[in-house]
Amino acid sequence: MSRLLGERWQRRIAAGFLLALVGVAFAWFFLLPRLRPHIFSGTVIQSTQKAPRLELEAADGHTVRMTDFEGRVVVVYFGYTFCPDICPATLSKLAGAMQILGNRADEVQVMMVSIDPERDTPEMLAEYVTHFHPDFIGVTGDAQTVNRVATLYGVYYEAMEGTVETGYTIDHTTTVMLVDKEGFLKLVLPFEGTAEQIAADIEYFL
Amino acid sequence: MRRKTLSRKTLIKSAIPVVVIILAAVAFAVFEPIQVLPRIRLAPGYLLTDQSAATLTSEDVRGDIVLYNFGYSGCGEECDVMNGTMAAIQSRIGEVDVGDTDIRFVTISFDPGQDTPEVLAEYATTLGADPEQWTFATAEPDHLENVVKAGFRSYYEDHGDGSFSFDPKFVLVDGWGVIRGEYRYQTQASDTDKILRHIDILGEEIRNAHGAASLAYEAAHFFLCYP
Repeated sequence: MSRLLGERWQRRIAAGFLLALVGVAFAWFFLLPRLRPHIFSGTVIQSTQKAPRLELEAADGHTVRMTDFEGRVVVVYFGYTFCPDICPATLSKLAGAMQILGNRADEVQVMMVSIDPERDTPEMLAEYVTHFHPDFIGVTGDAQTVNRVATLYGVYYEAMEGTVETGYTIDHTTTVMLVDKEGFLKLVLPFEGTAEQIAADIEYFL
Repeated sequence: MRRKTLSRKTLIKSAIPVVVIILAAVAFAVFEPIQVLPRIRLAPGYLLTDQSAATLTSEDVRGDIVLYNFGYSGCGEECDVMNGTMAAIQSRIGEVDVGDTDIRFVTISFDPGQDTPEVLAEYATTLGADPEQWTFATAEPDHLENVVKAGFRSYYEDHGDGSFSFDPKFVLVDGWGVIRGEYRYQTQASDTDKILRHIDILGEEIRNAHGAASLAYEAAHFFLCYP
């Protein structure tokens, strides 16, 4: 080999090989992840209209409007504090997603709208949602307002007979809605999504 | 001689874009562009009572393609065209291929005072509705306002004499609960054909909702290849 190619050429080939290796590694670890299209776990909506209006009450009598959060991504979930399984599981996943997002979670507001205005007071909601994440907020309103908001966000709910311990339970839509920084409803996340998938979908809109 | 060589090169150079355009046109014609219906907005969530006095919710139809219209049993001739269109689509639904996805038709009455389950059942029979596929339902007035007026954005007004002014509208909703088409019959020459074509396009998207093909369909949404 050393007879066929001079030392100078050997060095050139080695340098070229090394350069190619660095190039492949750069493309594989840096370029490809950025060029690959994001595959959403939820359903994307290209609506030209802003998300349905929302004006509900949070703890301390504070009125919350969707417009309060322009410039931040809002993740809206409809649930209730007496919810035995689906709501805690969803809020845990959302808290997990916030953890994955790290500092960027500051650009996100998670909001739970109570579909049980009869039992959930704003104070109870605040205590419930902050148990999952200190920045989560819970909002409610009178029955007619809650019905209107839930309906417009594609959410069905219906009180069902429960046990003596649980009282009545509420069957409800389990999807999570994402409103982008400009106030457009962009994504519907299924209950089945993992915290990682939710975080990746939210990050796309940050 | 030199001049001849140069002109050939120039000729080849200028021919390349023409060949590329022709090849692109042929590929476009052969492979056909992907068509998708716009994802307009979320369809409302609802809790209704149907013609058999059972509840019908938006979750019951999740995963199905649903065509909605809005009316009332006392409508008479005013609803003939709308109901005829719905019945025609129901009878011709075999012409479209939506794979394993179910297709349902839901007529929401905004006259709950008159349209009891019994009245709706009779109305359904009169219209020749297949009860397995075409459901008639209504709800409390307040909820109807939220669902029909605010959610489906279909106007109606009670005149108080048993008659209503209303928006004769069809709404096509996909299995993810997203509105994909809105049609007002007075302005369309043939709603039946158009809606059937749109259900077919939706069916093709659903059949390609997984795997590599889904990426092409998502891209089509972003580049708005709307029919």
